[in-house]
Amino acid sequence: MFKNHLKIAVRTLLKNKIYTLVTFLGLTIGVASALLIFRMLEFELSFNQQFTNHDRIVRVVATQESPDEGENFNVCTPIPVMDMLDEGIPQFEQMARIKEFWVTLAQPDPNGGPPLQKFNMGEFETAYFTEPEFFDIFQPLILAGDPVTALTEPNVIILTETWANKFFGSTEKAMGQELIMDNVVPVVVKGVIADFPGQSDFPIPFLSSWETLKSYREHFFFEESIHSCSSNNQVYALLHNPGQLEAVNKELKKISEELYSDRETNRTHILQPLSELHYDERFGHSGRHQISRSRLRILGIVGILILIMACFNFINLATAQATLRAKEVGVRKTLGSSRGQLIAQFMTETGLIVLGAVSLGLVVATLCQPFLQQISYVPEGLTFVGDPKIWVFLILVALLVTLLAGLYPATVLAGFQPIRALKSQALESSRGTVSLRKVLVVLQFVVAQALVIGAIITLLQLQYIRSRELGFSQDLVYTFGINTDSSSIARQDVLKSELLKIPVVEQVSYSSDAPMSGNTWMSNFGYASRPEDEEYGITLRFCDADYQKTFNLELVAGKWFEPSDTIRQGVVNMTLIQKLGIEDPQEAIGQVIRLGGSRRVEITGVSTDFHTHSLRQAHQPILLVPRKIYYWETGVKFRSGSKPAESVAAIKQAFDKVMPEQVFMGRFLDERIKQFYEDENRLAATCRGFGLLAILISCLGLFGLAAHAAQQRVKEIGVRKVLGASTLGIVGLLSKDFLKLVILALVLAAPIAWYFMKNWLDSFAYRIDIEWWVFAITGILALFIAFLTISYQSFRAALANPIESLKSE
Amino acid sequence: MIRTENLSKIYQTDEVETTALNEVNIEIKQGEFVSVMGPSGCGKSTLLNVLGMIDGPSSGSYFFNDEEIGHLPERKRSNIRKYNLGFVFQSFNLIDELSVYENVELPMLYTKVPSAERKKRVEELLEGMNIMHRRNHFPQQLSGGQQQRVAVARAIVNNPKLILADEPTGNLDSSNGDDVMKILAELNASGTTILMVTHSQYCAEFGNRIIRMLDGQVVTENVVKQYL
Repeated sequence: MFKNHLKIAVRTLLKNKIYTLVTFLGLTIGVASALLIFRMLEFELSFNQQFTNHDRIVRVVATQESPDEGENFNVCTPIPVMDMLDEGIPQFEQMARIKEFWVTLAQPDPNGGPPLQKFNMGEFETAYFTEPEFFDIFQPLILAGDPVTALTEPNVIILTETWANKFFGSTEKAMGQELIMDNVVPVVVKGVIADFPGQSDFPIPFLSSWETLKSYREHFFFEESIHSCSSNNQVYALLHNPGQLEAVNKELKKISEELYSDRETNRTHILQPLSELHYDERFGHSGRHQISRSRLRILGIVGILILIMACFNFINLATAQATLRAKEVGVRKTLGSSRGQLIAQFMTETGLIVLGAVSLGLVVATLCQPFLQQISYVPEGLTFVGDPKIWVFLILVALLVTLLAGLYPATVLAGFQPIRALKSQALESSRGTVSLRKVLVVLQFVVAQALVIGAIITLLQLQYIRSRELGFSQDLVYTFGINTDSSSIARQDVLKSELLKIPVVEQVSYSSDAPMSGNTWMSNFGYASRPEDEEYGITLRFCDADYQKTFNLELVAGKWFEPSDTIRQGVVNMTLIQKLGIEDPQEAIGQVIRLGGSRRVEITGVSTDFHTHSLRQAHQPILLVPRKIYYWETGVKFRSGSKPAESVAAIKQAFDKVMPEQVFMGRFLDERIKQFYEDENRLAATCRGFGLLAILISCLGLFGLAAHAAQQRVKEIGVRKVLGASTLGIVGLLSKDFLKLVILALVLAAPIAWYFMKNWLDSFAYRIDIEWWVFAITGILALFIAFLTISYQSFRAALANPIESLKSE
Repeated sequence: MIRTENLSKIYQTDEVETTALNEVNIEIKQGEFVSVMGPSGCGKSTLLNVLGMIDGPSSGSYFFNDEEIGHLPERKRSNIRKYNLGFVFQSFNLIDELSVYENVELPMLYTKVPSAERKKRVEELLEGMNIMHRRNHFPQQLSGGQQQRVAVARAIVNNPKLILADEPTGNLDSSNGDDVMKILAELNASGTTILMVTHSQYCAEFGNRIIRMLDGQVVTENVVKQYL
């Protein structure tokens, strides 16, 4: 019997080519989309799962109530608090302090010459100072040495396998070798561990000991004050069991109340489970990216919707085709076929199409891998075919889609009464499915249009971000890192003069950060004679006297501060002036800011506002002050007309000459700024990509239905033509029903898309308004595409010779 | 074999009620060849469909082999149908997607006849109907007469006790029609009961008895002389 079902399925599918092609292509696109989205979800959802103790690992983070800015979230734990936690939380089986750090690592020449080898850490790598307990918590695989003991000693480094190979070619050769961090901190390789898993938020190239950090406290800004809170200082712990989260949070609340009772800041420490590290965007982490669970949910829903839309095509066309199959159903029932056998037969047909679509979907998804890299962080190397999870997913999709798409049409077809089916009266009984078909078409276009509206709004917001005046010049500015040890600081002036000798270089400036960097240095402060500190903090930017000219910052009052090595004078921005309630910026000139409660800084100038973070954040009150020891970054402004590649080569040459022990690594500022919107770009590409696919699937369905409608109304068209109807009149007649559905879908899609996009836009301090024309354009676009889709069938029907259609009746 | 008591069939639409069969009482014995005649719309096809269990009666009783089956659910009727009845339609009703061979084989798939037996029976029948050379063709590739011979082969492949034929020659020319009638007469001669609806007096006279209907009722029953 199955053979018979299979045979008839193949022949039926080959006979109804349009129907087969439309459902097949629709399902292929649906399956390919679902596969791509599954790959993204599977990649994101498996982060940090590889650690043996992943369900017991926690991080201590903090929330902070501020009267001015509401609740703030941060990951820092002040050093003295770490000591208290170590003793005061019985639920911690193990606890490890960590401090994130970034250094240049070099292999020194034993003869005193320039380093034999030197490497900067990768853009997304973060090293940790930590304690032996780190190994109990994360259990990295030890390849050589005794890193656990080593971490109790100063001046040690534990390399990962990649870094051991990078320096010494093998794990064994690396052991006992000497390296130097930032040309200041000598360390010995005391162990080699396996690389951390790729799908973890710990892109760690090497570890060093807490003792090393304590031995070089000034170089690494190690401050043992309860009032100093750097996001680099964190605590990880291993609970005895995963259910202790609440109990520890109660303990932490009690400790926080005692610790911070005398301070205005209302900080409370809480635990963050490792399972939330990748998804809770309120707290940063050492990894490259985070993604919220709500974003993943939406992505999953989009994938399911696209797959369901493809199933809708199947249901629509299968039920529309029902009349053509009625005779066969009647004959089979007359000959003794049961309803179950008929359902099995039609399900075989569906299964066959689904099987083909799933196979081709896999091929299409594989071909679309480059697209996946545009919209997600999924690495290039991951294949579809070699992954057993993908196969399980595909089998599940095939079964589900077969059931979802096939069961309803099969039940309708198999439910025909034999006598009515033989008389082709089944058509009447299947008329109820016409409204179902309309509902499904509307739903398809709701999804497609909502995604298109989303794509247009994300594109407009990105356009707005790109075109917004940032308050400084980002063109032709190259930035690169520089060490801040005393030897490097001593050579800063030499480097600057060397750089200025290069003809294409117009300005050179040292600073902690470029104007827009995403980094935050905050301090409490008081203004002029006001006795109390202000309720909000001030953001600091450390920079030299040439910063203004390098980045074209505009002053509205006063002048830039005089060159200095330490903080004596500074420039503030307009946001600070406004927050202080000063009407004329000139009034602030000559006034004093008390930084951190005591350090006095004279205001020499007021600059216009410039963006320090992405446009998600509003302008902050800023103080720009000089401080040589914080100049990690060099900004070089090229003259207009200079050739970028040659200019960068020239400054690298100068850098290598003055700082031979350091690694030259830099980027153009505009490229760095673009990277701020990596997430937004990926979101826009996701909406654009899947929106187009959704429209394509909807149009395929519409095309099939239009073909069916034209076929159904062939006699009516013939009669109308004989009675004098024009071709355009007929086209209008056939098209208007479908176009009405598209318009109805827009009416439904608009508020849904508006709601989601409004929420998304609210995460930007600077954003576009959602204009009515976005919806209008989407509607016009959808109508136009829908009309094009239908018109082929409509024109074909309208241009047919009426005699032919009437004769056949 | 077949007996009806006050068998009625009423079709109801939103506004109109049509009585297709009005308290019909007939009896057909094993081995009979009964022809049903009457003008269009008199209810003869409805009678055939109800007796063939592809439509249910509105009221009255239908006894098949002394068992009342008129009001059985579709599943049970389907079961009786596949083991006992064979159908021949005016419009052949072959499945376009199946070849001649597969069409004839189809009823045996539903009665779960083993594959080797199916092959044997199909080939015998196709030989007998003289269409073996067309076994791999599809219905659209055959003439009307050939299609009806395939349909007859399909109807008898399960050795049914009763063959129901609805205007079997209606779409055929006289020569092909004659061939089909001869086949039916031969089947009857070998013991198969046949109930045939026809407009043609000539065809009707191939049977033993003619039932004439008008407005959903049986008006006369005549016995006819045997041809063969």
